Amino acid sequence: MAGSKSILFIEDDKPIAEMYARVLQHAGYEVEFAYDGAEGLTRAQAKHYDLILLDIMMPEKTGIEVLRVLRGEDGQGHPETKIVILTNLAQNKTSQEALRAQADGYIIKADIVPSQLAGIVGKLI
Amino acid sequence: MNMMPDRFKRQTLALFFIVSIVPALIVGAVWYVYSQNSSANLLLVNFKSFVLPVIMVGVLPAVILSFIFAELLARPVRRIHHATLELLRGNYHTRFEVQGAGEFDDIGRALEVLATKLEQTLSESASETALIAAERGKLRTVLNSMTDGVFALDRAGRILLFNKAAGALTGRSIEEVAGQLAEKVMPFRAHGELVMTRWLARQGNEDEHIGQWHDLELYRADGQSLYVDVEAVVIKDDPNGIATLVTFHDLSSTHQLDQMKIDFVALAAHELRTPLTEIKGYLDILSTEAAGLSKSDRIFLNRAVTSAERLGGLMRNLLNVSRIEHGELNFRLEPINYVEFLNDFVHDTKPRSKQMRRRIELKLPLKLPTLEADASALHEVLTNLVDNAFSHTAAGIGVITITADRRGGEIETTVSDNGIGIPAQALPRLFTKFFRVNPMKSAASGTGLGLYICKAIVEAHGGTIWAESTEGEGSSFSFRLPARPVAPSAAPSDNETITTISRGTHGWIKKHSVH
Repeated sequence: MAGSKSILFIEDDKPIAEMYARVLQHAGYEVEFAYDGAEGLTRAQAKHYDLILLDIMMPEKTGIEVLRVLRGEDGQGHPETKIVILTNLAQNKTSQEALRAQADGYIIKADIVPSQLAGIVGKLI
Repeated sequence: MNMMPDRFKRQTLALFFIVSIVPALIVGAVWYVYSQNSSANLLLVNFKSFVLPVIMVGVLPAVILSFIFAELLARPVRRIHHATLELLRGNYHTRFEVQGAGEFDDIGRALEVLATKLEQTLSESASETALIAAERGKLRTVLNSMTDGVFALDRAGRILLFNKAAGALTGRSIEEVAGQLAEKVMPFRAHGELVMTRWLARQGNEDEHIGQWHDLELYRADGQSLYVDVEAVVIKDDPNGIATLVTFHDLSSTHQLDQMKIDFVALAAHELRTPLTEIKGYLDILSTEAAGLSKSDRIFLNRAVTSAERLGGLMRNLLNVSRIEHGELNFRLEPINYVEFLNDFVHDTKPRSKQMRRRIELKLPLKLPTLEADASALHEVLTNLVDNAFSHTAAGIGVITITADRRGGEIETTVSDNGIGIPAQALPRLFTKFFRVNPMKSAASGTGLGLYICKAIVEAHGGTIWAESTEGEGSSFSFRLPARPVAPSAAPSDNETITTISRGTHGWIKKHSVH
């Protein structure tokens, strides 16, 4: 059912990416990885993904920067792709920035578990 | 120094001289007439030869006698004078020995008795004065060596006494505050309200003799504010006119320590989130995917999950406090469909309550007005209250009930449980920072921050929060938030906004694509 859905996981912390990926793959999603912001942006622009999970604190480019480029000036870029920030930065300021840049969600990693993430993803795509 | 007896001697001498000169002259004259065997005529004729012998015979003995008498009289007077001077110098044992001088002897003895009595009286009153001075000194030393500020008020609320610490803490001097109204120079405030004035005003008819307040604000003379704990005691029928005694304790050092704790935990909490993410994540994977686990393995795994959850909750609270303290608790007010919000909340909490073997119930009216609040913050309040209820109820029998209803222009939400309850004396301090009902019972204790955060959030929304409890029966925590005034024309767009974003403590998700 969700088998055809694809996810790009942009996260510089490999163990965390793999941990979430395992649950998402178990749920039938196709998961690809990028380990820094620049690489993630290149991949996201090269191919369509149903969902991009995006960390913020990354080398090369921050998640917010990647989000802004992808959504573009008008916030309409990649309309078929849901973009969800997955971070441990809990500041309201960052969360507001993500909302304004047209993210579809902002999730604090430490406050959810992988199965919850799978549930959220299931509702989004 | 001996001027007085000398003058006395001279005066005595003059007196004797005058007194003895007349008879001496008569004696001299008689002697001369008889010695010349002549008539009265000769007296006039031979004036010159008459005067000299008369003076020689009559006046000289008079002069000599005058000297002797004057000296005889002056000696006891000199002695009395000398002894009196000794008495003045404080030598009360001086002797007034005036032998054989009749009245002077009596005067001397009388003066000696007087000196003894004087000494007795003086030494008695000196010891009394010393005692009073010692007592006063002791009191002053005690008052002034206290690190807490102390001041006393008369019946009208004017300052009578003001110790050193009170001066140092407020930057005011006793001269400045003496006789002033306490509410003018020592205005203790809680949320801007003068607390002592109101309490003092009630003293006339009530039996509430001791007043205690925590964390009151007091402006120093330089305009800076100071946070203090205050205790006031009403004194009845004091002879010195003291009607109230007030003690206040500076909380600056306590606040400074709190600040250090907050800075440290903010840093630590951020750093700890990444490993916590993995602990929780892998435990979750284990408990959902691992097959063939024994019953005890499952129990252990569940305990690890519960502990990781608790750790996460504690860290979130520590961060929240650091935000409150730094004034970074920014809210994004939005209309909330509260019925839906609470249903979502309970739905999200069910897995955890099941795991912890507590029952969670939601009792709602069919309709509630729209709330205007920050959804994440509201989620935080409910999470903390429900977490507390989980901690203070027993597995298997714990029931947590959430109710919400309209109260005038507000919505009242109550989270109640059938747990261990809270001792009455702990209720007033429940919402203060780092307060724990029983710090020794680690099983049920957190950081002492949850309720402080709830209060900060609810009050920042213009609401109120309170607790009621009966020990052994359970507790209930309630808060009221203002409902949003209904604007009919704006209703459709409101509904749209309400369903767009789902917020929780873990972040937010846009809901527009959910069907």
